Amino acid sequence: MSASYTSVKDASLRRRVRNGALGLGCVAVALYFGFMALLVFRSHH
Amino acid sequence: MANAHASDTAHHDDHHDQPATGIKRWLFATNHKDIGTMYLVFSLIMFFIGGAMAMVIRAELFQPGLQLVDPVFFNQMTTNHALIMIFGAVMPAFVGLANWMIPLQIGAPDMALPRMNNFSFWILPFAFTLLLSTLFVPGGMAAGGWTLYPPLSLQTGDSFPMLIFAIHMMGASSIMGAINVIVTIMNMRAPGMTLLKMPLFAWSWLITAYLLIAVMPVLAGAVTMLLTDHFFKTSFFNAAGGGDPVMFEHIFWFFGHPEVYIMVLPAFGIISEILPTFSRKPLFGATSMIYAIASIAFLSFIVWGHHMFADGMPVAAQLFYMMATMLIAVPTGVKVFNWTATMWRGSLSFEPPMLFAIAFLFLFSIGGFSGLMLAIVPADFQYNQTYFVVAHFHYVLVPGAIFGIMAGVYYWLPKWTGHMYNQTLAKWHFWLSAIFVNVLFFPQHFLGLAGMPRRIPDYAVQFTDWNMVSSIGGFAFGLSQILFAVVIVQCVRGGKQATAEVWEGTHPTGLEWTLPSPPPYHSFTTAPEIR
Repeated sequence: MSASYTSVKDASLRRRVRNGALGLGCVAVALYFGFMALLVFRSHH
Repeated sequence: MANAHASDTAHHDDHHDQPATGIKRWLFATNHKDIGTMYLVFSLIMFFIGGAMAMVIRAELFQPGLQLVDPVFFNQMTTNHALIMIFGAVMPAFVGLANWMIPLQIGAPDMALPRMNNFSFWILPFAFTLLLSTLFVPGGMAAGGWTLYPPLSLQTGDSFPMLIFAIHMMGASSIMGAINVIVTIMNMRAPGMTLLKMPLFAWSWLITAYLLIAVMPVLAGAVTMLLTDHFFKTSFFNAAGGGDPVMFEHIFWFFGHPEVYIMVLPAFGIISEILPTFSRKPLFGATSMIYAIASIAFLSFIVWGHHMFADGMPVAAQLFYMMATMLIAVPTGVKVFNWTATMWRGSLSFEPPMLFAIAFLFLFSIGGFSGLMLAIVPADFQYNQTYFVVAHFHYVLVPGAIFGIMAGVYYWLPKWTGHMYNQTLAKWHFWLSAIFVNVLFFPQHFLGLAGMPRRIPDYAVQFTDWNMVSSIGGFAFGLSQILFAVVIVQCVRGGKQATAEVWEGTHPTGLEWTLPSPPPYHSFTTAPEIR
């Protein structure tokens, strides 16, 4: 990576950033598979 | 918003951690300013490619009959013009502006996830190379419209899986960009920068990012199901196998309607920055502007059925979608009122960003009013699939979203480059764009009301005159955009030194104006204090 990266040293901030990103990523993945699961479910009823 | 009193504690930082040189600077970029620049350049290139496709469309429609291209190629142009303009030009432009401005506006040293930021940008050139390369595969590009309705879209030739993969990549890029914006704003605001003190542009992007995360996976799911219907014998949308093609429309528009607001809410934020600056007054009703944006975002999730009135649906559903759609006029009216009230008795000056902002205000409102007309169910049965719809959404997206982007670029360009641009040329760009965008799109209302269908290369002779006018407007509008590129290139290469405030005498508020122009490569490495 570029040497110009601005590092964030505050551990609490790093944790919040990581958790926030993971949480939002999970929402996106859940919506992606959720809509497909919904249609599969619907096709069986 | 935040009346920022931040000393520039960052400018000493530009003595070290200089950017990498050569191609490495861009390939491995993690700096929000570099990535923002790449997004904006990419978006401009896509704007001209999508624009070239629009020129083909308008050239073919200049006269009735088939003149230049065959009907299949014409439909390939309409489909890919839309995909490129939406996913390649407008959305990346706003992400570029977000990358550049959000850290500067909230006093953060960078985006929260700089490596993901790099990844989300670099996916895009591959996605669009893949999309554009479908021009050369057997069967050509997708031609079933950007909405990809089955069963028509399933008749696409060899380009179909390439199109689906390209859409997946665009979606992944957007989702990563949105995650980055939310995490940055929620965690990296400078001390004292409460949410209600945050500038409107950052606010509009925060709400847009939530919309993106909610709907882009839905589009990805829908096109994945199209893919499995095409190649793996599933029948999600195949009526012969027990599936439901109309279900695709529901899912698509559950994505598609919020997508419209994804393309326009950040423009609302930009206009809310520019109008107070050049009116030399604070934004009227700033807090109500935030609530209005949030209300519009909420309503965008419950109105998708208005795209499907002509499919047939229960009267109760028609009434619900019609009324919910009309309800959007309330928060939109709040915004237009507040923007007008901001200018009222202000000390106005008409620099290029202000000109674009005022044009946005008038012309976006025209698009809003024609949207209200389309929301009326019995009227929609007449307007559906006509050029009236084309006129409506182009008024929303060209003098709406694109003028918003241009206003933002003209507002912040001196801040980014450190040079003032040629304002005379920029004003020429404005006037030519503002005049010809109306010559281009206003006659399309008449054509639609007279019954001219959309997405056709040939038409009945009674539509000839207004099509000629529209095409002349299109060519002139397209050529005018060359001036935009010229102004930007000239400004990057040099020009009169811009001050930190850039727009002298307007006293713009916001942390970005406390930094020198251009800002140091690493800004706000020590968080500024917001009083």
